[in-house]
Amino acid sequence: MSEPIADFAVIGSTPLARLLAGRLAGSHGRSVLYMGESQSSYRLPRGLDLSVAPITRPESWAMLRQGIGETVKLIGRIAGRGAWSHVDPLFFAGDPAAAEALGHMRHMALGFGIAAEPAAPTMPVAHRSGIVLRDALRLNRPIIEPALDQWLEREGVRRLASEGVTIAEDGSAVLQAGGARFEARQAILADHDAILAHLPPAQWPALLRRHPASCILTTPARPLPTPVMLEIQSGITLLQQNEGGIAAIGLQDMASFSGRIQLLLGRDRQVEQAGQTSFSALATSDGAPALGRVGTVGADVVAGMGMAGAFLAPALARWLCGEASPFEADWFGARLVSRAPHGPSVAEYAPHISGTAP
Amino acid sequence: MRPQLNRLDKDQAGSFSGSFIDRSRPLRFRLDGRLVSGFAGDSVLSAVMASGIDTLGTYRDVPIALGPSANPAIRLAGRADEPQHALPMARTPAIEGAEFVTCGIRRSNPLARLFLPGRTLGLELDEPHALDRPWRRLAGAPSASSDLVVIGGGVAGMEAALTAARAGLSVTLVEASAQLGGHSGLFGTQEGEDNPETDMARRRDAIAASDAITVLTHSHAYAIRTGLVRVHRVEVKEGKPQGSVLDLPARHIVLATGALERLPIFAGNRLPGVIGTSDAHALASRYGIWPGEAAILATGSNVAYRLAILASDAGIAIGRILDSRPNPSSRFIAFSRAYGMVQTPGAAPRSAGLIKAGGTLSVHTDQAGTEPMLTGRLLVCGGWQPDLTLWHLAGGRSRWHGRHHRIEAEGGLDGIALAGSAAGYFTRRGCIESGQDAVNALLGRPRAPVHDPVIDPIHESPDAPATITEPPEDAAPAFLDSGREFLQRPAPPPRSWTSIFRRHPPRSGLVALSEAPQPLAIGDVAAGVDLGLIPPDAAGIVAQERVALVPLLPPTATIPPPEDEAVAEPVPSYLEGRFGGDAVLVRVVPAEPRRLETGALIYRNSDAANPLQAVGVVLRPDGDAALALMHRHISRAGLPVSVRDQGRAIAARIESPEN
Repeated sequence: MSEPIADFAVIGSTPLARLLAGRLAGSHGRSVLYMGESQSSYRLPRGLDLSVAPITRPESWAMLRQGIGETVKLIGRIAGRGAWSHVDPLFFAGDPAAAEALGHMRHMALGFGIAAEPAAPTMPVAHRSGIVLRDALRLNRPIIEPALDQWLEREGVRRLASEGVTIAEDGSAVLQAGGARFEARQAILADHDAILAHLPPAQWPALLRRHPASCILTTPARPLPTPVMLEIQSGITLLQQNEGGIAAIGLQDMASFSGRIQLLLGRDRQVEQAGQTSFSALATSDGAPALGRVGTVGADVVAGMGMAGAFLAPALARWLCGEASPFEADWFGARLVSRAPHGPSVAEYAPHISGTAP
Repeated sequence: MRPQLNRLDKDQAGSFSGSFIDRSRPLRFRLDGRLVSGFAGDSVLSAVMASGIDTLGTYRDVPIALGPSANPAIRLAGRADEPQHALPMARTPAIEGAEFVTCGIRRSNPLARLFLPGRTLGLELDEPHALDRPWRRLAGAPSASSDLVVIGGGVAGMEAALTAARAGLSVTLVEASAQLGGHSGLFGTQEGEDNPETDMARRRDAIAASDAITVLTHSHAYAIRTGLVRVHRVEVKEGKPQGSVLDLPARHIVLATGALERLPIFAGNRLPGVIGTSDAHALASRYGIWPGEAAILATGSNVAYRLAILASDAGIAIGRILDSRPNPSSRFIAFSRAYGMVQTPGAAPRSAGLIKAGGTLSVHTDQAGTEPMLTGRLLVCGGWQPDLTLWHLAGGRSRWHGRHHRIEAEGGLDGIALAGSAAGYFTRRGCIESGQDAVNALLGRPRAPVHDPVIDPIHESPDAPATITEPPEDAAPAFLDSGREFLQRPAPPPRSWTSIFRRHPPRSGLVALSEAPQPLAIGDVAAGVDLGLIPPDAAGIVAQERVALVPLLPPTATIPPPEDEAVAEPVPSYLEGRFGGDAVLVRVVPAEPRRLETGALIYRNSDAANPLQAVGVVLRPDGDAALALMHRHISRAGLPVSVRDQGRAIAARIESPEN
C-alpha cells in the first residue's frame, strides 16, 4: 500500500528545523515528514541558539522580540526549564567599522528593551570595544533535542531515517526509508547541512555561498568573561561549556581558525584541543536571512538565520502556511532567497562572509 | 626507604622475572621526597609501583589506580615547573640518586606531601590538568629526514622497519618503552609459530645489525600529518634524564601502534588493585612487578587466560576467572582448567569496592545470590581496540565494526599506512605480514594478500564486547576507559536528598558526551557506542572529531595575523534602505554639549522610542555635532529632533543637509 502524500518534508537537525516541523503539524494541521539526526549529545557544536543576535535592522529585532515569548513558552512546555539558560553574551569588535556596527547593535537592543552595556574591561586582547547584552536565553541543545523528538511524535510528525532524498524542480520530495517510498508536496531544507546535502546544484541560488567552517573544543581553561562571546567582524563565537571547556565556532578553515583561536583566547590560558571538526557552512552574500522557494517554484530553504533562528520558527511556520501577520509576511517577503540583488536592501553587518566566491 | 614489596622473586617468577631490569644493579632515588628503590632498567613508574605505590590520587574522594595507562608528569627537583623540564613517569628511566617531583599537583597544603599515605602519589584528579603532558605545548626541533618513520616497535613495526631497510630505505623506528618487542608475549603462539620472546629477540637483533634503522626508544609520537611526525623523547645525558620534542620529517609513515585494551564498565573499575591484563602483563614481564599473591580475573577475551597461566607459573594464585561469555572455549581455557583454575562463565563484575584496611578489593558479580569475593588484585579485560589515535590525528577515517565490536580504520591516507593490530589484524602472522604489506603499499610495490589465520570460533571463542553492568547505588564511579582522561559513565541524577550534604554529591555525570571537556580516547568512544550514547554509524566521526590534536602547520603555512583594520564606510551597507532609498547625511547638533553615540536613534519627538519609528541614526561624531543618516523628507535645516542616547531623549537640531 502506498503512503499518502504529505504536505511537507522538513529536513534538518537544528532546533529550528524540529520546531518548524512540529508547528506545521501541530498548529497548522499539515501532514509532515521529518528527517534529521539528533547529534548534539555526541558531536561538537556547529552553532548555537540565542535569543539575541548581532543584527542592526529594527524590523528584525521586532520579529525576534515577538518570537521569543512564543518560542520560549513552547519550548518550556516541551522540555521544561532546563531547556535554556540565562546568559549575558558579549559581542566585541576589533576594527573601526566593526566598532561602529556594534554601536548600532547596542542602540537597537536598547530600543527593544534589552539592557546593553559597554564592556571594555572584559575585552580580549587587541579589541577596541564590546557590549554585553543582559539576560539572553541560550537553548541547551542536548537537553531539548530528545524532548523535541518526543514532541514531534506527539504532534503526528512522521520521523524518517531516510536512505535517500530526491527533490524535484517543483519543490516536491521523495524520501526512501525502511524500504518504503514517501512523498511530500513541498520540501523544506531547514538548515545549512540539509541545503548542502539535498539542494540540486541546478537550483542553487546566487545568494547562497558555501564557506569552510570549523569548530574547536578546548580542554578546561580559565573561564571566559561571559559564557557566550562573539567577535562580530570575524563571526567567531566562543562558548563556555558547562564542564569547563571552551567551544569556538567560525567560518574559517581549520589551519587559520586554530591560530586565530589561540590569539583570541590569549596566551595566559592553557589551551589544548579536546576536539575539532571542519565542515561546510552557508552564508548569504548580504548577511541577511534567505527564505522561501528557490527559483520561486522549488524547495523551500531556510538559510542565514543565524543564532536567533530558532526563535522565529513559529512565525516561519505561519508564513509557510499562508497564516502570517502582515508584519511577518512583509519581513519574510523582503528576505526571499530569490530576492533581486539590487532590490530593497535587507543587508546585515557581516564582513566575514563577503569576498568569498560561491 | 620503601622496600620493593611488589617485585616478584626472581627464582620463582618464570617469565615474570623482568626482562628490562638488571637485578644485580640496585638503585635508589627520591620522588616527592620519598626514597624509592629499584633496579637499573626500571622506569620511575615501575620502581614506584614495585615499591607498593599503586594509587594516583583521588577523583571526587575515590582513590584511582596508578599504572602504565595513567600516570603523571614528573621533573627533576630544583628545575622550574616549565614544559621543557617535564618528563613522563612511565618513559623516564630510574636514575641512581635522582630527586624527582610530580608536576602540577594542586595541594591545598604544601606540607601535605610530607604526610602522604604510603600507597598514593596524592594527586587531586578533580583538577582538569592533573595529568597534563606539558611538552605537548612545545615546538618541535627539526630532525634529520628519513625515508620512513615507523611508529610502534612491536612485531608489525619491527617487520615494517626491516622490510623497508631491505628495500634500501632509511628508517626511524619510534618506540615508547625502553626496548622493542611490544605486547606479543601476552598473546602466545599459534601452530607453526615460534614463541613470542624468541621471535622478538630475533627481530631486535636484526634491527640492531641494520645501519639503515635508527631506533628511538622512550619516545612517544603524539602529532602527525603527511610527511611529519612529532615525538617526545627522553634520553639520559650526563646522568640526568632530559626530554626533547622532535619533528621527524619522512616521505612515508607506518603506524604500528597496536591495540588498546578496553575497560569493562562497572562501578569501581579504576580503583587501586584493578588493572587491565595488558598492563599487568607488561609490568610483570618487563619489570617483575606483581602486587600480592592472589588475583581474580574478569574477562571476555581468551588472552586473559594466558595471563592467568603465566601468573600461576610465577606462583600467583588465580582464585577465579569470571568470563562474560556463556560457553567460552579456547586452548588457553583448557590449559587453565588443567591448572585447577575455577571458571565462572556468563559472569562479570558489577562493582568493586575497597575494604579500608589493607587495600583488599571486594568484588560483586552480576550473578544473583553470590557472595562478594575478596582479592588483592582484579585483572580485567574488555577486549581490544585498534589504537587509531595517530590515524585519526592524521585525518584518517574509521567506522564501527559490529561483529568485532570495535572501531576499525577505513580508506587511506597519502604517505601513511597502518600495520599490525592497529590495522585490525588479530594474529602474529597477520601482524608480521601486514608490516611488510604496509611498506609495499607505501612504495607502490606489488602487494601480496595478508594471511591472518584466526582459529575457528568452534575452538577459540571470539572476544565478547566489553561488559557493562548497572552500578549499585552509592558505588564508586565507573569510567569508560583506563587512560588519562577521567570520563565517567553518564548516569541519571541522584534521587537521594541526603546527597546534598556530602562534600562531593554523587554526580549525575555528563548530560552528554559532547559536553565532555577532555579529548575522548578511542576506548571512550567505543564505550560510548556500547552504552548507546553514540550511534554506531557515528563512532568513526566522533573518534576523529574528539582526538587530542596538536596542530602541525605545513611548512608554507603560518598563523595569519589579525585581519587588516576595516575602515568604516560613509554609509555602511547594513544601513542601506533603513530610512528610505533616498536617505541623506546630515549634521545633528545636540542642544546640550555632549557626544552622541554611534547608533543612537533619531526621532521626530521625545515621546517616541520605538526603533521602528526612528527617522534617522547617528553614524559617528563630527566635531561638536554628529553625522547622521536620515529620511530625506525631514532633513530640513533647523528642524528640531530628539536623539535617544544612553536611555534618555536628547534635544537636537539638524544643522545642514549634506549630499
